[in-house]
Amino acid sequence: MFLYNIRIGIKSLRRNPILTALLIAAIALGICVSTTFIALRHIYEADPLPGKSDKLFYVRLDNWDPARAYNADDPKSLPNMITYRDMRALMQSNIPTRQSGMYVAGMFAHPDPKIGRPFGVRIRMCFNDFFTMFNIPFQYGSGWDKAADAKPEQVIVINQDQNQKMFGGGNSVGRTIRLDDRDYKVVGVIGAEWKPAFRFYDYNGGTVPPEGVFMPFNLTPVLQLNTAANSDGWKNQADNTYESFLQSEQTWIEYWAELPTPEKQQAFRDYVTNYVVDQKKHGRFERPLHIEITSMPQTMSAFQIVPPTVKSMSIVSLLFLIVCSLNLVGLLLGKFLARVPEVSVRRALGASKFQVFWQHVVECELVGIIGGAIGLVLSIGTLQLIAKMTPQNTITIGLDGEMVFVSIFLSLVAGLLAGLYPSWRVCTIAPAMQLKVQ
Amino acid sequence: MPIGPIVRAMKHNRTRFALIIFEIAITLAIVTNAVNMILAQREQMKKTSGFDDDNILWASAVPFAPEFKEQSYIENVVMGDLRAIRAIPGVKAVAATGFLPWQGGGSSGTMKAEGYPDKFQAQTYGARGDLLGALGAKLKYGRAFTENDTPVDPNESTKVCIISSKLSEKLWGKANPIGRVITSTEGQTPRTVVGVLDEFYNPYSWNIGDYVRFTPGRAYDGTGSFYLIRSEPGASKSVADALEKTLVKVNAGRVFRVGTVPQVKERYFSGNTLVIRAMTAVIVVLVFITALGILGITSLAVAERTKQIGTRRALGATKGDILKHFLTENWIVTSIGLFLGIIATYALNFFLVSQLTDTKMPWYLVGVGVVLLWLNGLVATIPPALRAASVSPAIATRTV
Repeated sequence: MFLYNIRIGIKSLRRNPILTALLIAAIALGICVSTTFIALRHIYEADPLPGKSDKLFYVRLDNWDPARAYNADDPKSLPNMITYRDMRALMQSNIPTRQSGMYVAGMFAHPDPKIGRPFGVRIRMCFNDFFTMFNIPFQYGSGWDKAADAKPEQVIVINQDQNQKMFGGGNSVGRTIRLDDRDYKVVGVIGAEWKPAFRFYDYNGGTVPPEGVFMPFNLTPVLQLNTAANSDGWKNQADNTYESFLQSEQTWIEYWAELPTPEKQQAFRDYVTNYVVDQKKHGRFERPLHIEITSMPQTMSAFQIVPPTVKSMSIVSLLFLIVCSLNLVGLLLGKFLARVPEVSVRRALGASKFQVFWQHVVECELVGIIGGAIGLVLSIGTLQLIAKMTPQNTITIGLDGEMVFVSIFLSLVAGLLAGLYPSWRVCTIAPAMQLKVQ
Repeated sequence: MPIGPIVRAMKHNRTRFALIIFEIAITLAIVTNAVNMILAQREQMKKTSGFDDDNILWASAVPFAPEFKEQSYIENVVMGDLRAIRAIPGVKAVAATGFLPWQGGGSSGTMKAEGYPDKFQAQTYGARGDLLGALGAKLKYGRAFTENDTPVDPNESTKVCIISSKLSEKLWGKANPIGRVITSTEGQTPRTVVGVLDEFYNPYSWNIGDYVRFTPGRAYDGTGSFYLIRSEPGASKSVADALEKTLVKVNAGRVFRVGTVPQVKERYFSGNTLVIRAMTAVIVVLVFITALGILGITSLAVAERTKQIGTRRALGATKGDILKHFLTENWIVTSIGLFLGIIATYALNFFLVSQLTDTKMPWYLVGVGVVLLWLNGLVATIPPALRAASVSPAIATRTV
């Protein structure tokens, strides 16, 4: 019966090709526009670590100037990052199951001259927990171990791009590369499947792709490294030595902790609060006590990762789909009511109301599916167009499985919603009345 | 034109007209809010930097050679770079600075100023060479930096500064600030204001896009140097091509990157451009779809009422009467839709403003939207209405 309905549906659609093209175009455009903008929003909003992101916490402390807030216009604002010394103090805690302070450094890689000229690389300085905490997959080797952090050893983890640029690809674990004036041994190569839309563990400096090289954080004082990203300060440091820079109120370090249970979360909050209160006694943290320990989704919203215009556009695009559906309702209503004589004959010959209703709904869903499929293809094209318009080194734009599913779902719903009323109208026609007119 | 009979006739087809009404209402809400979003983006893009943006290029040189640990070596290379770049044909001026217009950020610091009670935040950059020439900036008061302003000893702090007029107004009002002093938050490292830039704007995450303090300091060290270069109009391309070769000749132990300020600006505004293009496309497609919808539904209404039209014609109605009937019908529907649409427009705008940081809807935009959609409805009704008017009176005699 279902197949029969589909056959009838196709027949009916072919009877009036222009009207059918209009119906399909309306759905296709609606799906194209809504899928494109919802996908654009989804790129920013998607949970980067499903099931885990709400167990990862980002810490911010208000160590700013007692006279002015971090953002002078907003007294409740606090620095986006923490100081080196505060990060060291937080790392003393054994409450988090995993934790890592981190920042970005810049160095020069000197590959074998046969492979290429020296080139600049951005390096994520972090602890070994980083790789397990953020579920980073490895193609070869793995992250470094605790011993490498403690010593610290001159080891690195690289991604596929850097593996290509430094060594020409392949299993490079155990090989060395010169970065600035020292040699580093590769211990792990990240799998090609790791391609987050943007650097989900760092929101300072916008939505940009992850770094290609990872290095033990503890090399920082050894190499006297500086951040290659933002660094905010308000207080002049005691003198120009590197040691006073590390002890200064300059905020340039990010800190993440994995806290799997509410008990641990509370315990860690207490730990941090006690630390800050204790520091206040030593003349630091002169502003009112303000600590933000936020989960990854909360942190993303605090940093306004989704651009407001993208949110607006996704709302507008859904309304657009509604207009397309309304359009469809009108056209279907006309189409179906023009068929009243035919339907009344079927009804008189014994077709039940439900059968007539079902037949018409199937026809509408056919329009929905065909239009939705065209719309989906169009939206892939539109997204590519948008990707071309956005500058390189920002987000990676594309449709993922979830968005394809949403798109198909939307087209089915649009087809169904648009078809319900016209189908109901046509099935309530009394058989006798129409036969009389005939 | 008798409205009464038309309205009574419409009551037989409530659903159909309700559909058009809602379609028009939502269309108006989307179109006006989309235009509002476009205008807000345009407004942001209208800001000017105060510089000759179109003719400024930048070049960065990051050393990997070990000699770049020594201050005097770096100094020699940078001075060599400045001379070599200045000698490229088509170059008007060059400066070694940490500043890049339209970067959307940079470096800033907290300072104090004599006669201003609070600490304040401003962008701060060092610059050597012809900074004003490289930016194409004009002075409101005072003078540009000279080579003597930069202390010979790199560890000694600079003694003078150039600030933006907006910063000067914030600190000291409209008066000429030449000779006033800006210090560190602890009151140390005093720097006398020797020049005031007429106009300065560089977007910054804090609200300090208009405030800047330039010092004649060394904005370069072992990690690299950065240059702003202003070319003659039209020479940008040839200068860009020559830059890297020139810098390699000075010292090859470095990695170079070259670009233009228009590229930086385009990148900074790429989000705005995207919103403008996307929303324009949405408006065009939406108005088209709504027109198609009105066209489709009115066509069906005409087809359905062919017999009645024939009867009216047979009873003496002119073609004009029939045409007027359908146009009036559509006018009523469109007007109701637009009335609801005005409410929907403000509701959507209120929602977007409360949820996000959109701007309030100006009334004239709604007016323009209403007129546009009125015309749109009219145009979409004309073809089917003409078809209705051409129905022959003889139809009435055929089947009834």
